[in-house]
Amino acid sequence: MNKKVLWIVVPIAIIVIIVWSLFSWYINTRNQLIHLEENTNAGWAEIDNQLQRRNDLIPNLVATVRGYAAHEHDIFTSIADARSRLMGAGGVAETAAASGQLEGALSRLLMIVENYPQLKADQNFIRLQDELAGTENRLAVARRRYNEGVREFNARIRFFPANIIAGHLGLERKPYFEIPEAAREAPVVSF
Amino acid sequence: MVKSNKITIPAYSKTLGFRLVIIITIFILQALFLPAQSGNLPAPRGFVSDYANIINSRDRQIIEALGTEVRQKSGAEIALLTVTSIEPFSSIEEFANEVMSRWGIGQRGEDNGVLIVLSTGERRIRIEVGYGLEGAIPDGLAGSIMDNHIIPHLRNNDFSTGLRMGYVAVVAAVAREYNFEITGEALAAQRQTGQGEAAGSYQLLGLLLFFILLFLRGGRSLWLLFFLPSAGRMRRGFGSGFGGGTSGFGGGGFSGGFRGFGGGFSGGGGASRMF
Repeated sequence: MNKKVLWIVVPIAIIVIIVWSLFSWYINTRNQLIHLEENTNAGWAEIDNQLQRRNDLIPNLVATVRGYAAHEHDIFTSIADARSRLMGAGGVAETAAASGQLEGALSRLLMIVENYPQLKADQNFIRLQDELAGTENRLAVARRRYNEGVREFNARIRFFPANIIAGHLGLERKPYFEIPEAAREAPVVSF
Repeated sequence: MVKSNKITIPAYSKTLGFRLVIIITIFILQALFLPAQSGNLPAPRGFVSDYANIINSRDRQIIEALGTEVRQKSGAEIALLTVTSIEPFSSIEEFANEVMSRWGIGQRGEDNGVLIVLSTGERRIRIEVGYGLEGAIPDGLAGSIMDNHIIPHLRNNDFSTGLRMGYVAVVAAVAREYNFEITGEALAAQRQTGQGEAAGSYQLLGLLLFFILLFLRGGRSLWLLFFLPSAGRMRRGFGSGFGGGTSGFGGGGFSGGFRGFGGGFSGGGGASRMF
């Protein structure tokens, strides 16, 4: 009698345990994947945030430099070009390229400044330069964190067995935020 | 079951599986309890972590007292770190950001921390500002604090005074933001901030494991203790590989060392200077 009951109860218990652990594994992995994706979204939002911040900073910076170096038309034009290109950019790759171009233009602006000692000593300019450098650094941090998030996410959704769930959820690989070297070069400005 | 008053060592303690479990447990506990200097980063020693040995004891006392008072009154944390080199990091910005997040300067969620970091080797100094204090100390102010209060003293090779003045200027900006007054009361009731606390819990753990092993194996497994330092090295290897990446957004900084900072984060705000 006792043995018969055991023969029924034990297999049922085993099945219940297996089903339960499969189920909880599914839920855990699913939540994990969603969390990782949210991570990359938050990272992207932070990049966007800092790009915006830099964009807002540029008019002030340009105006200050113009006060001392009004005739450096080339650099002002290339900054304006890069800035409008960045504002019109969509998607990670395009944004990264436009951001690199603007970064290049801004660093050329700061090189030109070396020729104007009075400008370099201007308190307002020093403050703006710090703000710009700080924003570039925030952007670098945001980029690094975003890319780390993307790397983790991409690895997680590709490996078995989590890739099955990723397929169910329709999760796809995310692009890295990488600035192509060419983007930093000076764009050719012709008149 | 035979009842007996003698303490018997259970038979399973002799099986290979059981030994493996013990070894694995030791590894896991090590990883959990190792202080935060993993990943080639210095460990915090207090509000002042003077690895370059350039701050005199009077200035250190003042800074520690100010830091304590600011934390008591606002929760904000201002840390000062001096090093002789930022290697293996390539820029002081990266180094500062990594230290800030690993040490977790500022309260978790508030991110109201500031890190003043100076490297004598690269002759660079940076004030790194956590998210929560970016309004109180915008990048321009961080830059002008260095220009006006720190750099002139550094040029005279008076590092200690320069860093103290800079610290005071940061404290003033934080006090303005949180609307409190610095009274110096913490300086009057000078407490010694723990230096040796760092290894405390870790050593205790090691001792505990030692006695457990002694009890279980009758002293024949002492070789296991040789794992302690090597496991530490392994952990450091992992640390530098991932560069703290998994901590990502909103996670906590873990704080070893003196009883730790609050777990704040920085998004890379602040300013840097050469001197």
